[in-house]
Amino acid sequence: MQAQILDIATSAAMLYAVAAGLLVIFGVMKIINFAHGAFLTLGGYCALLTTWAGISPWLAFPVAAIVGFIIGALVERFIVRPLYQRPLDAILATWGLGIILGQVITLIFGREVQFVQSPVQGTALVLDTDYSLYRLLLVPGAILVGVALAALLHGTRLGLAARAVIMNEALARGLGIDSDRVRSLTFGLGSALAALAGALITPLSSVDPAMGVPWLVNAFMLVMVAGRSLISLMVATVVLGGAQVLVSSYASPVLGGLTIAVLAAIILRIRPQGFARD
Amino acid sequence: MPSVTLMAEVIPALECRGLSSGYGEAVVIRHLDLVLRQGETLALLGKNGMGKSTLLKTVMGYLPALAGTVRLEGRTISGLPPQRIARQAVSYTPQDQALFPDLNVGDNLRLVVDDERALRTAVAHVGGYFPFIPDRLTQKAGTLSGGEQKMLLLARALISAPRVMLVDEITEGLQPSVVTRLVEVLRVEQRRLGFSLLIVEQNVRFALAVADRYAVLKQGEIADLGASADAGAETRIIDHLRL
Repeated sequence: MQAQILDIATSAAMLYAVAAGLLVIFGVMKIINFAHGAFLTLGGYCALLTTWAGISPWLAFPVAAIVGFIIGALVERFIVRPLYQRPLDAILATWGLGIILGQVITLIFGREVQFVQSPVQGTALVLDTDYSLYRLLLVPGAILVGVALAALLHGTRLGLAARAVIMNEALARGLGIDSDRVRSLTFGLGSALAALAGALITPLSSVDPAMGVPWLVNAFMLVMVAGRSLISLMVATVVLGGAQVLVSSYASPVLGGLTIAVLAAIILRIRPQGFARD
Repeated sequence: MPSVTLMAEVIPALECRGLSSGYGEAVVIRHLDLVLRQGETLALLGKNGMGKSTLLKTVMGYLPALAGTVRLEGRTISGLPPQRIARQAVSYTPQDQALFPDLNVGDNLRLVVDDERALRTAVAHVGGYFPFIPDRLTQKAGTLSGGEQKMLLLARALISAPRVMLVDEITEGLQPSVVTRLVEVLRVEQRRLGFSLLIVEQNVRFALAVADRYAVLKQGEIADLGASADAGAETRIIDHLRL
């Protein structure tokens, strides 16, 4: 049971890290970025490149975040921005972009599964359980991501501008806020978080061109349940991620893989606003 | 050769020439010529649907000019997006949804001020007129009373240090005492800051009390234009509003 508690905490942390970027983009831009999984994959390959380069695996995280931010900002400028007035087309464009990014990654790195070096080795004794130290570190890592995002949103002018754009974009523009710049930075930030999440996950699994797909599905369902709140997202990742761990442990890993999507659909059927307050 | 001062006096704060605009196929403003002089207050009056709010939205860049131009202190601003017009010291207070109800009072003000020190000074200043503001900076704006929300709107417009203020029906639904307070504050601050004010109003008394001139809009055209101090101005305006 102790091991399962740790599994729930660390799974929720991974899900939070993956879904946070998607939620940030959804909150400000009101579109779901279906290229999120591809950005996550991109982060995984950034970690692979740092392994190949023989430099510290810790550097994989800033490298992934920077690459994700730059490519995300470019995607926003040249693909998403011209489609602001057609949100459905913008969403489809991100879906297509995800496919293209996946193919480009395949062309460069091949289809084979590859492994990266973990920045932390060994185990720690927690709750009478010998548990992967790296996996444990994901919990404070995810909390750090959440705290940093909350500080950015509530403690900076950019965050204030982003909140104003979320609430009433027309009014925000009338007060001099450049909503295009806010959207560009937001898309870059969301993409950076996706790539960072990819780099965080890879030491626990492997890297391949399709690694982002299952994470995208779960992150999408979690964001649908959480709405636009980082707190609701935390609750959703613990509840649904916890259910996924329990189903995987007591039923089957195959059913566990479906748990988040099925539960999210049920929650949204009963309570359309999900875990959000209104 | 005219001096710089004389030139500044000649260039209007805001100038609409042959301006037409509307919503899609529906033309609401038709070939309108209007000048807002430096430092003056001009009240736009008219019945609902005559184009008063449409004119402000067009000046602010929310609606495209179908014909004609809008100039701000001599520079053409028609075609610019609202954020670029706002950054040229134009403050716009729309009639509806003019505050961020889920942001607190302080954040609603912070949006138009660049740094915290300037914000503190500005809050202290507007707190002289509206003492609730410095006392309730952390309260959500949506929980203020209707009158307090209008005072906050005026405070936000004032602390943005505008050259031109566009205000759409700020007196709607307010107690007479609050309206009187807003008139006093606008007068004092206009003398201090020297901004020009284009105000859309249904409240004729308020409009004439605060404005130097008035214009009555009918079917998107100016039906009457005159000085607020003219004898019989109120009667003429009311006649226009009845017809």
